[in-house]
Amino acid sequence: MSRVEKKAPSVCTDLPLNNAEVCEKLHLMKELLKSCYGPRGRLKHVRNNIGGRVTTSSASSVILPALYSSQPLLNLIKTSVLNHISRFSDCGLFAGVFCLSLLEQARRHELRESLAIKVNKHCLSLCTSYLQRDDCACRVKIDFSSSQNLMTLAGSIISSKPACLLTEAEKLHISTMAVRAFLQTIPCSSPGPVTLGQTVTVTVRGLPVLDSAMFPGLLVETHDDFNQTDSSSELLRTVLFSTSLAGDLAELGDGTIEADPNLDTDLQILDQLLELGKQLVEDEVRLCVCQKVIHPVLQQYLRSHGVVVMERLGMALMEPLGTLAGTQPVATLHARIPSTAYGRVKNLSTKQFGFKTMLHLQADGEAAVCTAVLCHRNETMLDELKVVWRKTEDVLRLTLKEPSALLGGGCTETHLSAYVKHKGQQEASETAAGLRCSPAEFLLGVKVFCRSLDMVARSLEHDGGSSAMDLNHAHHWTVSANASEEDMAGGLGLCGCGLVENSSTEWTFLNTEYAEFCPAPLLGDSCRKPTVLDSFTAKVNALQVAVETANLALDVRYVIKDVN
Amino acid sequence: MPPSERLPLEQVLEIVSALEAVVLRSFGPEGGQVLFTRDTGQAMLSRSGTCILSALHLEHPLARVVVESVWKHSRGTGDGSKTFILLLASLLRGISKATSRGPSASHAYGFTEAAKAAAAPYFANKLLELVSSDLDDLIAVNVVPYGFCVSLEDFTTHSGRLLLASFFHTRVSHVHCSYLSELTCEMLNRWKYKSDLPYISFQFLSDNFPALHTPVSGFPVSSSRLIEGQVIHRDFATPCLPSKQQPVKVVVFTDYMQPILLSTGDVLKLGYGGGVTPESSIVHFSAWTERSLESVIAELQSLGVSLLLSAVKQSDAAVALATQAHMSLVECVSEEELSLFVQLSGVTPVSRGCTIQLEHVAALSFCRPILLGGHRYVQVAFCESPKSSKVNPCSLVICGPGEGQTDQYICAIRDAVCMLMTTWEPKHTSETTASRGTLQSDKGTASLDMTPTFQSTANKPYGLKKCVFEPGCVIPAGGTFEFLLSRALPNPSSDTNGLPSVSQLLANALLSVPRQIYSHSPKLFLQAQTRIMSLVQNPSNPFSLGLKESTPGPMVDLGLESVTCKYQLILAVVQCATSVLRVDTVLHTRTALHTQSKKHTIFSRASTEDEAED
Repeated sequence: MSRVEKKAPSVCTDLPLNNAEVCEKLHLMKELLKSCYGPRGRLKHVRNNIGGRVTTSSASSVILPALYSSQPLLNLIKTSVLNHISRFSDCGLFAGVFCLSLLEQARRHELRESLAIKVNKHCLSLCTSYLQRDDCACRVKIDFSSSQNLMTLAGSIISSKPACLLTEAEKLHISTMAVRAFLQTIPCSSPGPVTLGQTVTVTVRGLPVLDSAMFPGLLVETHDDFNQTDSSSELLRTVLFSTSLAGDLAELGDGTIEADPNLDTDLQILDQLLELGKQLVEDEVRLCVCQKVIHPVLQQYLRSHGVVVMERLGMALMEPLGTLAGTQPVATLHARIPSTAYGRVKNLSTKQFGFKTMLHLQADGEAAVCTAVLCHRNETMLDELKVVWRKTEDVLRLTLKEPSALLGGGCTETHLSAYVKHKGQQEASETAAGLRCSPAEFLLGVKVFCRSLDMVARSLEHDGGSSAMDLNHAHHWTVSANASEEDMAGGLGLCGCGLVENSSTEWTFLNTEYAEFCPAPLLGDSCRKPTVLDSFTAKVNALQVAVETANLALDVRYVIKDVN
Repeated sequence: MPPSERLPLEQVLEIVSALEAVVLRSFGPEGGQVLFTRDTGQAMLSRSGTCILSALHLEHPLARVVVESVWKHSRGTGDGSKTFILLLASLLRGISKATSRGPSASHAYGFTEAAKAAAAPYFANKLLELVSSDLDDLIAVNVVPYGFCVSLEDFTTHSGRLLLASFFHTRVSHVHCSYLSELTCEMLNRWKYKSDLPYISFQFLSDNFPALHTPVSGFPVSSSRLIEGQVIHRDFATPCLPSKQQPVKVVVFTDYMQPILLSTGDVLKLGYGGGVTPESSIVHFSAWTERSLESVIAELQSLGVSLLLSAVKQSDAAVALATQAHMSLVECVSEEELSLFVQLSGVTPVSRGCTIQLEHVAALSFCRPILLGGHRYVQVAFCESPKSSKVNPCSLVICGPGEGQTDQYICAIRDAVCMLMTTWEPKHTSETTASRGTLQSDKGTASLDMTPTFQSTANKPYGLKKCVFEPGCVIPAGGTFEFLLSRALPNPSSDTNGLPSVSQLLANALLSVPRQIYSHSPKLFLQAQTRIMSLVQNPSNPFSLGLKESTPGPMVDLGLESVTCKYQLILAVVQCATSVLRVDTVLHTRTALHTQSKKHTIFSRASTEDEAED
């Protein structure tokens, strides 16, 4: 170190939530996340400062990493949401909007921080225990014997990201594919602990979305000219190498080797490799796959003996290929390859997708590996489609852990909010004593919590309309901006999740006061199916993470920022 | 002569008060958190005084010395860093007040400055004398009887839990205190060595803590839990899962399984003189290493081994051969985890070149992949063996929405274990503390006499002294200790100079702690004081019970705190105050690159050895 710079003293902010500048920034972030929320959310262009590629998205997993703030409190919230997304993929915007609303509402209602923390925690436990209850009216059981709810769940996720620019038919196509892929990765006939299979995703630009397809087995891109006549439906003996077959001997160590000038070590090694090749040919291997590089001479030798050679496969595809062929990779060059190390692959054929040529490998028997080929017209939309696909995949898998879903379209939020308000009012005096505050203070805290939940439901509307809730089931309805009084009296059609149709004539707008009531469950009215569903596991976790993060931010009294 | 800066008492006080202002935000039951971002952009949350102070990047050498002694103190006891600053500030304030008022009345006007300068070190020495000679007896006679001893069996009961809960109350967000203390209690119970002293198991936990926890972000705190056995923070290198056989046999490798033919610096000469023979071919050597690897695998197979743990990354060939032999391999296991594993399973690791025997094989009851957050790790559980039967090994999984929070909780639990260790320290401390002290002072430079003093302050205070209290002695929190001790300190009216006595100074400083605890309502302070005083006058009433019964609503028992920790805290504070007050000048030297320059800038004129050296 030639130069020593003096470290600058840290920048401190006392009571950050009382600081107008900090609040302004929090508000800005909330507005930004709100505008992305829902199927009619606004898209954002993300571009870096040196004019790199522009991404168009409304997904929190794309937008949040691109946001940079100098305010540590914002970064704290951002990381919490990102951590949630990395575990559950879904409900990132929900967590962000809810957390920021909690902070903003608490400040607007001048609620003491320590009290807000306690009440938030209490309301959260009310919500989670209600959601786990059997008679919870906003939860839907997922029945694996019918694909209806799975399709609805996949469809809601795909339509919540408008940047994919899909038509209704395309949405249906993609969600059917997603559900099929999910069902194919569950092995049917293995007792004991189940290992889920894998879906490998391949993207192709320039083809219509409806060309996207699912294939059992693996599609591996090849650049070599593969002779179509080689394709056959018989079983092919396969070998996998995880070590380099290029003739480098890395395992000898770091020492130096001095060779006699007359001695050609490269030739010796090549001889050894050809020896190996000879054994493969003798053992009637028809497909030779290597994770790393294969020496060109060896490749030529193998090809001339009718062996299909694939090199530079990469680490990511080794495991699915091993599962598909039912074998383990080989890494020894000198020993004889035991016959147990050979696997089998069926139906080698080539497929052409746009400009990509792919080799299609299929398993002999049932192996839970499949490939999804996603097509879209241009790269930006394809990127977003990939994000959504991955998210759908994760959410569908989460249903295996907890076979439930929550009503979408803001209905869960309004329902929970009405429930919490009702419960809070009922138990105000006891709970307030337990939390060591007055009942009035407690109710104010409950109001802040409910308002924040309502705020999330309201964020679904972006076209100037307003949000309403019926006073019977507490579901969420959107009223378009140009609707008149008569329109409202005549009924609003279906609620956000599509389960309730105009059953109540009593409405309240979501940003107004209303008398508490106990939201009634839907009785017997089972002919109607929900049209929008959200992931249960992801949403419950998002709810918890949002409240905990808000509590944390409320608890911060001092910010020290190292500016070096 | 380097540029120097006078360091009057007022300035010392100013510096310490500035530190106090930062710490006060998170002090006491109403305190909040401090968020700080490092220069790397990483955000951290903390209520720990030590973390907050060390994040400040202080410029002034004196402030740095204070922070360093706080750091050393809390590393030793795990507790009391915020109270440290608070006590120090009010002690210095008291001394400053006394010196500015006292002598001016009796001395001529012109001498005031000099007299003031002399008075502060005088107080400091007196204080040090007082605490080093009488403090332990004072506490033993006047404070300990009002507390009680918690035995380790109590950890399942109320008081042990209360001790932990009140510790967490000062360190993490309020809503998670009870959850964390339950979790910690459960962990301590499982790790309890039934035959040994509690201290031993705390020591073990504290030593192995890094290998015993896993932070997981993206989940709510309430998902934190204990899981059986040990978590090895690596994934399997081989795709296949361990076989279903019971028990799982495991071998630990510290080196490569495939022998390295040429280490750095070795030279292999090929083909000189002999012409081309099979032996001169490079392929021959490469084949030899592969054959010896095969023999190792065959040996393992004959022993029925199905799991290999390795400290290093093995070669591709080793991974492939192990996979084909249906063994699972876990590579790059950290040293800490491997040493814990070796301790718990009682196995001998295989090092380079030794043959594998039965003593190298350990048995596990299971070994399975475990998904924690975004990572897949390996969970192993140990079979009942004579060595491990005493404990029920478990690991801690700490969840939080972000990395900052999980780190905070982990820090808090680690410090809690450290605090318990101090509390249950056996009456005779071992020699290790003493030897550590001498080792540290060796590092100091001989030319400057203050360095050894600082180090002995900063080190565990009075390491040579025996611990005077029964292990596990606790007292109700919420200022009880401070009230009792301040009352017990001898109170002679004033000494001959008209200066207040040092014990009075200390008593006043002590009272500032409960005053700060009840800062939101002065009425509560008086109530608490009156209640404790009345209980002292009525000794028939068993104190610990009395407090709980007579407590009015809003301040139910604030929990318990450790007497030993409090005692060590006062010792450390007085030591720090003494060393700070003895300094009167800061010398700014020009050796900024020197690593120990921080200590060199502090220079004392007051010391006599200094003059002797000159």
